[in-house]
Amino acid sequence: MSVAEISKGKPAEVAGRPRPSLAPLRNFAAVPGRGVLLTAGSIAIAFLSWQVLSTFIFNPFLIPPPLEVIRTAIPMILSGEILADVSISMSRVLVGFAFGSLAAIVFGVLLGRLQLLHDLLDPIIELMRYLSPTAMIPIAVIWFGIGELSKYFLIFWGTFFIVLVNTIAGVWRAPIARQRAAECLGANQLQIFVLVVIPSAAPYIVTGMRVAMASSFMSIIPAEILAADSGIGYLLQKSSMLLQTNRIFVALLTICLLGFVFDRIFRFLVARTLARFMSFVAVT
Amino acid sequence: MLQLDKVRKVFPAAPEPYVALDGVDLEVADGEILCLLGPSGCGKSTLLNVLAGFERPSAGSVSCRGAPVRGAGRDRVMFFQDAGSALFPWLNVEENVRFGLRVRKVPKAQWAGIIDNYLRMVDLDRHRNKFPAQLSGGMRQRLQIARALAVEPAVLLMDEPFAALDALTRRRIHAVLLEIWQRTGKTIVFVTHDIAEAITLGDRIGIMSAGPCSIISKIIDLDLPRPRDLADPAVARLFNDIERLLAPDIARAEERAAH
Repeated sequence: MSVAEISKGKPAEVAGRPRPSLAPLRNFAAVPGRGVLLTAGSIAIAFLSWQVLSTFIFNPFLIPPPLEVIRTAIPMILSGEILADVSISMSRVLVGFAFGSLAAIVFGVLLGRLQLLHDLLDPIIELMRYLSPTAMIPIAVIWFGIGELSKYFLIFWGTFFIVLVNTIAGVWRAPIARQRAAECLGANQLQIFVLVVIPSAAPYIVTGMRVAMASSFMSIIPAEILAADSGIGYLLQKSSMLLQTNRIFVALLTICLLGFVFDRIFRFLVARTLARFMSFVAVT
Repeated sequence: MLQLDKVRKVFPAAPEPYVALDGVDLEVADGEILCLLGPSGCGKSTLLNVLAGFERPSAGSVSCRGAPVRGAGRDRVMFFQDAGSALFPWLNVEENVRFGLRVRKVPKAQWAGIIDNYLRMVDLDRHRNKFPAQLSGGMRQRLQIARALAVEPAVLLMDEPFAALDALTRRRIHAVLLEIWQRTGKTIVFVTHDIAEAITLGDRIGIMSAGPCSIISKIIDLDLPRPRDLADPAVARLFNDIERLLAPDIARAEERAAH
């Protein structure tokens, strides 16, 4: 075989003996829509095992089988009950997340740039970021009651520290060569900051926001369980009190789906609007 | 053009301050290529940073066209070895070049002409919509050249810009750089640790001693016509002379690095 052929990545053929038997399996990697097929397969297997386990092995009251869960879900969906809980929970997540991210980016960009301010505040931030939103629920209820404000606050709290730490790291890691290059080209300090440092930090900021989004989904549930009269968390709490395991499972499934869909939407929006700031992450 | 007078650069360090440069005298004439050659850690980059104005000398003076250097100036543009971090990866080829025109408030009507001119000069005009991540290493360095030339500096300061390129790409970009230099008459200070590169490019070669307390120990005039072929006996002799000259300093630099 010639060098050119090797470099083109042609598979080496064993002289005179092609082996077609394995070809379909190997070619599966190239099947279009392979990812979708595998995902569907994974979900199908999970549902099947769940159905079998809860019907024949475990107590179906403790682990209701999926068909039972779906049967419970349909009227909840049709009556709008689920939608109402979902939308109230999501609006809490979105408001808290948006304000938390915004505050963290503004604050983080300043702390990343002003060394003295950073050194002064960093120890406090390092201590406070261990206060999870869940730990803050009791005091939030006292401060803000069980209305919307306390939930906004808790999501804000969880988002803020995650995005803050990432933003500071991103600003710090804006390559010195890039800033100096901009300076040589004639940029002043403000231009270097706005046109070079902040775009350089964008991948870190967006990554922080994605993590914070996931964490917001985790923290809204305990917040609603302990201090709310609406939302998915409240649905869980209420169903638990009434021993309605079917309804608990509907709520749990809803959380899974929502988190997944939100992350997809987030990634789609980032790809749509910030692609040029994210595309170089792999480049040194 | 560029003048350094008894430049000292001391960095605070424990247990004692590190003297990177200890009295460097240097004059760079208008339109010449001066290569600074020396073992790693000899303060070449520090010297270049002082020339660029990124670092202030601890003692001595630096001037450009008679005016003392007090920070990065519009007349001197620095090149970096790591183009991946020096370029703006969120801007495409054309926008990278445009950046300098925008921040220097060059009238908008001239942008297209200037960008076309320099992209053609470095042979990147067919790739103007690509992003740096989509370019090869050599193309990224050529983009750095175009971006710098577009703001029309008098001096190019180049910090081992081609050290990370493979040998063939490096030869090609040397030819591009020399052609541009012949056409534009820029003054170039080129830092390298590659003897062949210094001989290929330089009008003069400044040999730096190993750090700490580096100085420019010798300046060699290259009275050889370009392009210079390493197989040419005169060039080969020069190569060997320089190699012999550097040998003790390379050994010293290695000893230091081992600590």
